[in-house]
Amino acid sequence: MPSQSNATPMLQMKGITKRFPGVLASDHVDFDVRAGEVHTLLGENGAGKSTLMKILYGLYQQDEGEIFLHGKPVKLTSPANAIAHGIGMIHQHFMLVPTLTVAENVSLGLKSSRGVLSDLKNVSKRITELSKAFGLHVYPDEYVWQLSVGERQRVEIIKALYRDASILILDEPTAVLTPSEVDDIFVIFRKLADDGRGLVFISHKLKEVLDLSDRITVLRHGKVTGYTTPAQSDRHDLAHLMVGRAVKLAPDKEYVETGESLLSIKDLYVTGDRGRQAVQGLSLEVKSGEILGIAGISGNGQRELAEAIAGLRTPQSGKITIAHHDTTFSKPGEIREVGLSYVPEERMKDGAVGEFDVKENMILLNHNKAPFCKNGFLNFRHIRQHSEELVKEYAVKTPSIDSTTKNLSGGNIQKLIMARELSANPKVLLASQPTRGVDIGAAEYIHERISQQRQRGTASVVISEDLDEVMALSDRIAVMFDGKIMGIVAQKDATRESIGLMMTGEQQQESVA
Amino acid sequence: MSDSFAVMIIVATIASGIRLATPFLLASLGEALGQRSGVLNLGVDGVMLLGAFGAYYTVLQSNNLYYGLLVGIAIGLLIGVFYAFITLNLQAEQGVSGIGIYLFGLGMSDLLFQKFVGTPRPILPFMPLDIPVLSGLPVVGEMLFQHSIIVYIAFGLVPVMSFVLYRTTYGLNIRAIGENPEAADSLGVSVMATRYSAIIIGNGLAGLAGAALAIELGIFQQNLTNAMGFIAIALVYFGAWSPKGVMIGSLVFGLVQAIVLQCKTFGVIPRSASDLAAMAPAIITILALVVVAKRFKQPSALTKPYVRGG
Amino acid sequence: MKKFNLSLSALLLALFLLSPSALLASGKALRVAIIAPSAQNDLAFTQSIVDGINAIKKDRDIELAITDGTFVVEDAAAAIRDYAKKGYDLVIAHGSQYGGSLKEIAPDFPDTAFAWGTSADTFGLPNVSSYEAASDQGGYVMGVMAAAMSKKGGVGVIGPIEVGDAKLYVDGFVMGAKAQNPKIRAKVNYIGSFSDVALAAEAARAHMAAGADVLTGTAQMVVGAIGAARAKRVAWFGTQANQTELAPEIVVASQVYKWEVILKKIIADMDNGVKGGKMYDINLANNGIVIEFNDAYKLDPAVKEAGMKAIAGIKDGSIVTSHK
Repeated sequence: MPSQSNATPMLQMKGITKRFPGVLASDHVDFDVRAGEVHTLLGENGAGKSTLMKILYGLYQQDEGEIFLHGKPVKLTSPANAIAHGIGMIHQHFMLVPTLTVAENVSLGLKSSRGVLSDLKNVSKRITELSKAFGLHVYPDEYVWQLSVGERQRVEIIKALYRDASILILDEPTAVLTPSEVDDIFVIFRKLADDGRGLVFISHKLKEVLDLSDRITVLRHGKVTGYTTPAQSDRHDLAHLMVGRAVKLAPDKEYVETGESLLSIKDLYVTGDRGRQAVQGLSLEVKSGEILGIAGISGNGQRELAEAIAGLRTPQSGKITIAHHDTTFSKPGEIREVGLSYVPEERMKDGAVGEFDVKENMILLNHNKAPFCKNGFLNFRHIRQHSEELVKEYAVKTPSIDSTTKNLSGGNIQKLIMARELSANPKVLLASQPTRGVDIGAAEYIHERISQQRQRGTASVVISEDLDEVMALSDRIAVMFDGKIMGIVAQKDATRESIGLMMTGEQQQESVA
Repeated sequence: MSDSFAVMIIVATIASGIRLATPFLLASLGEALGQRSGVLNLGVDGVMLLGAFGAYYTVLQSNNLYYGLLVGIAIGLLIGVFYAFITLNLQAEQGVSGIGIYLFGLGMSDLLFQKFVGTPRPILPFMPLDIPVLSGLPVVGEMLFQHSIIVYIAFGLVPVMSFVLYRTTYGLNIRAIGENPEAADSLGVSVMATRYSAIIIGNGLAGLAGAALAIELGIFQQNLTNAMGFIAIALVYFGAWSPKGVMIGSLVFGLVQAIVLQCKTFGVIPRSASDLAAMAPAIITILALVVVAKRFKQPSALTKPYVRGG
Repeated sequence: MKKFNLSLSALLLALFLLSPSALLASGKALRVAIIAPSAQNDLAFTQSIVDGINAIKKDRDIELAITDGTFVVEDAAAAIRDYAKKGYDLVIAHGSQYGGSLKEIAPDFPDTAFAWGTSADTFGLPNVSSYEAASDQGGYVMGVMAAAMSKKGGVGVIGPIEVGDAKLYVDGFVMGAKAQNPKIRAKVNYIGSFSDVALAAEAARAHMAAGADVLTGTAQMVVGAIGAARAKRVAWFGTQANQTELAPEIVVASQVYKWEVILKKIIADMDNGVKGGKMYDINLANNGIVIEFNDAYKLDPAVKEAGMKAIAGIKDGSIVTSHK
């Protein structure tokens, strides 16, 4: 432990070890939380943060180690048990029932004061009180499906507060929030800590960790690799602890002369899944050698825009030109022919076939062309050779090219898709959420690869919810809100604040780019 | 045709529709409960058949109609325990397991009937209740208040189930678990126990539906239900998983059947179109399903086994 | 888990297939198989053929196998082929819906005699005979009596689908009722199903509400109608088998098929080397059809008298029903 305080910590986890078949998910981890502090658990996906917290929340039982609450050893055997001990969890994937009201969600699993009858009136009253006390703006009678993501998160917080949680586990709570929502929620978190609660903040976003934490514990491969504080460390130090080596957080960028326009979108209208106008009169221009980043909260038409460009969704009106070809109403295959490579948002749904092996996914686009295919038969010699090369070149970590794709990690599947897409030598690269759920090492590599496309003269579009990613990669940043571009700024002029404002629908004041 | 005769026929038709709707209503209320908790049971018809035989045989032996109803329910509850075990503990695929239950019920009920009864012997069915004042009312009296007790049990269960689903903590648990079992589990609601209870009660209602049918008809024979259980499942979708909706669905189905029957009796529907008209209830149900399916979503967790942390 | 599921399904399947009829069969001599759509004790169509064979069994050594409950035609076809393969001498496909299957199967087994009904079609095959019941004759007699005893002047008929034996019976009944009382309201309701017992019950109630005080009906779903009639003490005429047991209070009389009359002929022809190509028929005249009265029912002698007159008239040819 880096520091010892006089008071007994609210929570102490000592030597926690948890084994899963073939994995040591948690390896003698020590962790504690004191009243009034935010203690961050930092680590990559699979570092063991979730396992540790699931043990704390009674979802798993540890194989070794002990848990103490206020100095007394406890056995946490179920969520109900953990709740009874004052432990609350704000899950990353909200544990809410959309078809129920806020009050119903909150009262779920609680003893009712009226026996078998539910007592939503009392619950509603208490929710309103808690909401006022902490500035949560939660209304008990609203249905959860009507709420925005930010509102749903506040419902989760109310759920924990309602159960008198003194220890709050916050599992990646900012993953789905806008920058301004993040600011708001951090104020609430701080208030909750000041009120005497102990908060466990789980995250892999370095900037946020430094902003919010009192103390930081870093995990890698189930082991603690460091205890630190924001005062002692900066982003690079944290990344180093997480990955185990120095990490470049933003790719080096050389100046590249931009060339002719390779992707042009004029006045595009696209209908979304539920007949909603998802893209509304959007225009864009991307030149050879530049990267345009599209920032915005997901659900503002980015997916529909990407699908329209890739030919997976037919636009209502407008015009899309790729490398001087009008591709507005072309089929996906035709669009690829003129030079588009597409890295889709849902890599396991649209990007790769999980049941296929690595080599099959590598040639998924060209499987019907020479040299991979001759007279309708696959030529496995060429396929193997090509796949071996790409796996090596793109550092895809896989036991072999015959391994089933779904068994690879998210980062390696994404590298596989990048390898396939970039090896097609695109004129236009469209990448949606290229590093979502990908570990830092792989993200670094993917960023490097996208950045290299500038030298090749590719016109690249990177759509991402991760503002840091957009800021690091792009030459210009466009912000999308409600199907429209709120403004486009050059990367050097962009600030988190100005972009954050546009993400919430504020129109850009003056035109820059 | 005189006016009073026309009124009499309309009253008879509605009364007939209500009677026809009753077994569907019982079965689909039970199915709705199970589906609300996230478990599909395609075996309703099989449970109904076994419930029907059990009730019939019990009445045959004891001459007590209420014993018959109780045995029908008990058989349903028992199958419910079994079905819950294979779908929840063993996590068997729900569609296939349900069909297994159906085939089992279809074969077993006939086997037992052949073995223990053989030649069909009638039992005395429930007589229509004589409700003071109400039964004697003109028009509505015959339409609504001269039915057997089973009809009132079935329709009485609608508000009871609505109350349980929407006003009790148990109902809240069921609704939550059918949509997002992880959420319920994370708050300490036992997914297993809640689903077990919903399946068992649901199957009990299916058993009661079969018992009601056999006792109402006063007879049992092979495949007595004639696939009613499958219609009941469709009616759950029709009724958008709410007790009230299921009741409306059952009534529509029963009334259309009764109207078609009445029209045929009076030759309104020509003999040549008779077979076509027999399909009317099914067609109307399918059309309604198409409309409903667009507006309502089934419980999100339906047919998905729940594994903690999975 | 998978293994368990598999064995579970196997168990369920075994229970399902374990229908009691498959357990019968023994002895030697003439081997006869019956494939029929409903239960062999259905007090209706299927039971009539089983009773027929059993009647012959007294005089002749017969090994009988029955597959009943094959309302699915494909199942019946499989059973027919199976019996033929096993070398049964006579395979009886007792259901007009089995005709198509028989037409395909019979040529593959020229040494087996097939009989099917009710139909008049032998497909021109030398080893297929067909049989039919003149159920219109019995229907006519019932119709006469029904019209004679109706006080309200209305009789109701419940049928399944307007085909085959059911159509013959219903048409005969209506014809008889009109002959007895030209003003009679004879309403017919084909409910569109052979198996919907609940709907048949409601059809009976609809008839009663519309002013019918005598009912009849044909096919296995009428047990529901009989129950509904019994609850209101409305008279019932049965057909295909003696239905008195189902409702002793209301069943006036039943038309009963004595298939043994033609089964004897078929077997006699087989003894002479004729395996088919012939059409057989039971009727009042050859005593293949008999009207069995329920002695417990207090029937107006005048009504019975009218019925007996109709029987005599049909037998001597002075009354001609729709059949032939």
